[in-house]
Amino acid sequence: MMNPVSEMPLRLAVWLLLAPLLPGIVNKVKAWVAGRRGPPVLQLYFDLAKLWRKGVVVSTLASPGFLLGPAVAWVAVVGAALLMPLGPSLAGAGFRGDFLVLIYLLALARFCTAWAAMETGSAFEGMGAAREVSYAVLAEAAIIAAVLSLGVQTGSLSLSTMLAPAAGAGAALLAAGLFVVLLAENCRVPFDDPNTHLELTMIHEVMVLDHSGPPLAAILHGASVKLLLFSVLLVQAVLPIGQFAPWAGAGVLAAGVLGVTVGVGFVESLLARLAFRRVPLLLTTAFLLCLFALLVAWKGGPS
Amino acid sequence: MNPGPFLLLALLALAAGGVGGLRFPRAWLGFSLIGALAGLAAALGVLLGAPDWEWRGVWRLGGDAIHLRLDGVSALFLVLLSVVSGLGALYAREYWSDAGNPSSAPRGRAWWSVLTLSMGLVLLAANGLHFLIAWELFAVSAFFLITLDARGRATRAAGWLYLAASHAGTLVLFAFFGLLAARTGSWDLGPMQDQPALASLLWLALVGFGVKAGVFPLHIWLPSAHANAPSHVSALMSGVAIKMGIYGLVRFSGWLPAPRGAAWALMGFGAASAVLGIAFALAQSDLKRLLAYCSVENVGLIAAGLGGALLAGAGNEAAGGNLLLAGALLHVWNHGAFKALLFFGAGAVLHATGTREMNRLGGLWRAMPWTASLFALGSLAVAGLPPLNGFVSEWLIYLGLFDAAASRGEAAGPAGLTAILIATAGALALATFIKASALVFLGAGRTPATRHAHECGALMRGPMLFLGTTCVFLGLGPLAVWPAIARAAASWGGALSPVGEPPDALAMLGRAQRVLAVGAVVAGGALWHRVHSGRHRRDVTWDCGYAAPTARMQYVSGSFAGIVSGWFTRILRPARTLRRPRGLFPAKAFHLERVPETVLERVLGPVAAVFVRASNAVRRLQHGRLSFYILYVAAGLVAVGTFVWVGSLR
Amino acid sequence: MNEGTLNLLVGLAMGLNLLALGSSRLPALIRTVAAQGVVLGVMPLLIEHETLDWRVAAVAVATIAGKGVVIPWLLRRAMRAANIEREIEPFVGYVPSLLLGAGGTIAAVGLARALPLLPAHSGSLLVPGAMASVLTGFLLLIGRVKAISQVCGYLILENGIYLFGLLLIHSTPLLVESGILLDVTVGVFVIGIIVDRIQRAFDSLDTRKLTTLRE
Repeated sequence: MMNPVSEMPLRLAVWLLLAPLLPGIVNKVKAWVAGRRGPPVLQLYFDLAKLWRKGVVVSTLASPGFLLGPAVAWVAVVGAALLMPLGPSLAGAGFRGDFLVLIYLLALARFCTAWAAMETGSAFEGMGAAREVSYAVLAEAAIIAAVLSLGVQTGSLSLSTMLAPAAGAGAALLAAGLFVVLLAENCRVPFDDPNTHLELTMIHEVMVLDHSGPPLAAILHGASVKLLLFSVLLVQAVLPIGQFAPWAGAGVLAAGVLGVTVGVGFVESLLARLAFRRVPLLLTTAFLLCLFALLVAWKGGPS
Repeated sequence: MNPGPFLLLALLALAAGGVGGLRFPRAWLGFSLIGALAGLAAALGVLLGAPDWEWRGVWRLGGDAIHLRLDGVSALFLVLLSVVSGLGALYAREYWSDAGNPSSAPRGRAWWSVLTLSMGLVLLAANGLHFLIAWELFAVSAFFLITLDARGRATRAAGWLYLAASHAGTLVLFAFFGLLAARTGSWDLGPMQDQPALASLLWLALVGFGVKAGVFPLHIWLPSAHANAPSHVSALMSGVAIKMGIYGLVRFSGWLPAPRGAAWALMGFGAASAVLGIAFALAQSDLKRLLAYCSVENVGLIAAGLGGALLAGAGNEAAGGNLLLAGALLHVWNHGAFKALLFFGAGAVLHATGTREMNRLGGLWRAMPWTASLFALGSLAVAGLPPLNGFVSEWLIYLGLFDAAASRGEAAGPAGLTAILIATAGALALATFIKASALVFLGAGRTPATRHAHECGALMRGPMLFLGTTCVFLGLGPLAVWPAIARAAASWGGALSPVGEPPDALAMLGRAQRVLAVGAVVAGGALWHRVHSGRHRRDVTWDCGYAAPTARMQYVSGSFAGIVSGWFTRILRPARTLRRPRGLFPAKAFHLERVPETVLERVLGPVAAVFVRASNAVRRLQHGRLSFYILYVAAGLVAVGTFVWVGSLR
Repeated sequence: MNEGTLNLLVGLAMGLNLLALGSSRLPALIRTVAAQGVVLGVMPLLIEHETLDWRVAAVAVATIAGKGVVIPWLLRRAMRAANIEREIEPFVGYVPSLLLGAGGTIAAVGLARALPLLPAHSGSLLVPGAMASVLTGFLLLIGRVKAISQVCGYLILENGIYLFGLLLIHSTPLLVESGILLDVTVGVFVIGIIVDRIQRAFDSLDTRKLTTLRE
């Protein structure tokens, strides 16, 4: 166990540098299932570097919030990631209630992204923002039910102790619920299709239509950090990471995240995107899964 | 520091303002500010450690000596009252000036002073009778402020509805204080925890104060009153006046022995208010109505926190209960700050464009940069997002609920459910305020109304700036206000032990908020610098190849809220009028949508209609024919005689 | 682990209830009901695995065959005859019925704790599972408009009654059990024919149209 302050740069480096790997892995899996070669795993790194060097076109209608939105959203997502423990060796300095800060930081990121989308006055981006904030209502209920079940299970209210033990009897329910939330919050199939470029069928992509250059790089990087964040949350919520030796724990965590990412890739290859009016049904199901995990946690365990 | 002289000064200044305000606007402003500052000094003195202040006069009013008391709880609310009323007075000087409203501005000033004074007296009264007198004065002066501009039919209707609902609540409070006095033998108010016979009276207080606070489903008067009142009055009503209802709930839930059921009811109705209030808010297209419904949500949050605190206190879970109580009390301040800010912002928009209808606005950030950025700040705060103040109190309430849930005690299930409902309400609030601020300030102006918009002047901007700064300060330094909250919680008097040391986690939260704020500023600056140091140009928004987009094609209120209001359609019951475009060259097509106040129009309206019909039937007896009246008298005599005769047979 | 496995299976059946409430396509609904039938068929084997006699085995086999194979096959045939694939705009929407079903399931678990059950049954999920299934069946019967979905609701309701019956597996004569199964099969067979007739008469399977028959 390291000193929380000195380990901060290391944690920051892990989040910032490893996150863009995940979308690459997802794309590689999709290419593999479809029998293509696909883009290199490191494609997002190249894209980010290129975007950062590019110029920017800003809508004539946009206020300075159009540029501040992506910046604050990026800070919020990275801040949320820094609260998340990375296995027993990089648990960070948690405090009671830090999970609420994490959830609300993600909400702040959502606010900023939707704000920047509304800046352009485009009906498409309004559509995307409306979808994003509406579906988030159900996702938020699900995620609060999930952390509530972890809190009841472990009797603790800080992330590092909440995520260390296994999720107990409701692990399968919790895993399924959180996986659906992961897909929804990161705008993956079956909620959204990151590959499509038809504005009417998108959520996240349609919100960032008018962004270009460095702000778009911040948005893409933030999205990859968010995907990594949810994968890490899912793995630690289900597996007893805290019971491994420090470096073994890190290894198990990495393997778990890889597994989740490959799972996302398979889901994207095998499922079609849902019709929009079916999305609430799936998210409600995720909420119910987390709720039942909560009930199982209440019923079992020491009382 | 003795708060007595300050309170006397405030009283004199407000009375002088009330009298002088009719003729001398500048003097009125001065008196109002002196009153506000004196009240603030007195209240802060008590909150920062001075002992409770108590005063018994020699004069009698209604047979009882005047008895005033300023303790932690009243001081907490007095701070809010002083700040918002002072800022509102400043704002009103420009917003409702003599030049713009020559006939109503003097009246408005006088009633403003009366309203402020009467709310202060409500907070100070330690005698049931005098409490009721002050309460009635407060209700009536608020009515005259709401109907200040009585030209509009909607405004008059809102005023009458407010007056009727408010008096229905007052009637219940009459019963409450009357029964309280009858059972204790005195009108004096104070801790009565040791008399279990009084427990059932708390139900009356719940209803009476619940009407004023606007807890669902007693909120029926709130949306129209807050929407139609002048904006500085809306700010005072939404920021402070409904908190008087909360004050009553906090006060008497602490002083009376609380029955378990009342705590459950507070928590349940609070959680329901939170979700339904914000669902209604999201569906509104009138900016001020949206803000009013959002007040229902926030009152719900406070009520849920208070109910949870009562439950935790009864179940010996002091840790969680203290957090809930502290969160509820802090949210009183927070909501007062950001809601007043938002109403001031809405007033500035109304002032500049002449409309509250968001579907007619848009793109105002260019003309009104100050209002736009301060409204955005208020939106972030009201959506409960870090690093602002709304998040701190919501965090405390969540943490208390999670504590109760994780303890697996009696309140575990409801606490968990409430946490989930509050999370849902939080996500809905985010959607609501993205919608509100984006429709008004972002994009392109939808109608000519936005073309001549102008930034408001210094007197309107100053109060907004002050409240915005308060929101930031309360968010970044939650530890700084903890002593005040702890002082208020200590004089609450419920089953909880006083909130002592601040929880360590709060210090960590403050640190996290500050880091986040610095990070956001640095990252924003860095990205700004990067963009402006490289190539950048402005061009039209991506229009998907469509040749002639117009500003009316932007997303509007109904389209933004459509998904969510579809989920709540059974409760919201929107009235839709739709005419689809037909044929190759469609001539006219429209889609009108209006979300009614469901409880009022679908529940109370029909019930009232039955009463009206019954009364009309009875009224037929009153027709003016003398011979029939004599017949009534005769019939009455026979009936009474029969009654007496039957009675004598027994 | 006998008790645990049984509870897992009942939990699975309860999950299938919710799946049935959330599915809009008739084939998926029929598959769900079939799967629930198979899960239910396995249960007698688990309960009686120590003293497994031929009668229990026969019940199990008959249940699996009847509920898992024959009835779904009949339903699919009726569906094909009527030429419909999916339920459109049910009377009670999918999300509300899902939430109602979940609330009912939670209430059933809570209620079962309050009931004065035999100590042997107190830890088991059989009673709440049975109540939840009956409730789900009613929800489907009330909330759906297509005749085939309503048949599926009826089957789930019957599954709930079957779960109750498992509590009394020692005292119920085999004959009753098989009689019920036979009745259900015949019922579904008859409904299959009726569905065909409704389709021909009204050009639709919407049971709301049957109100024109009231004269």
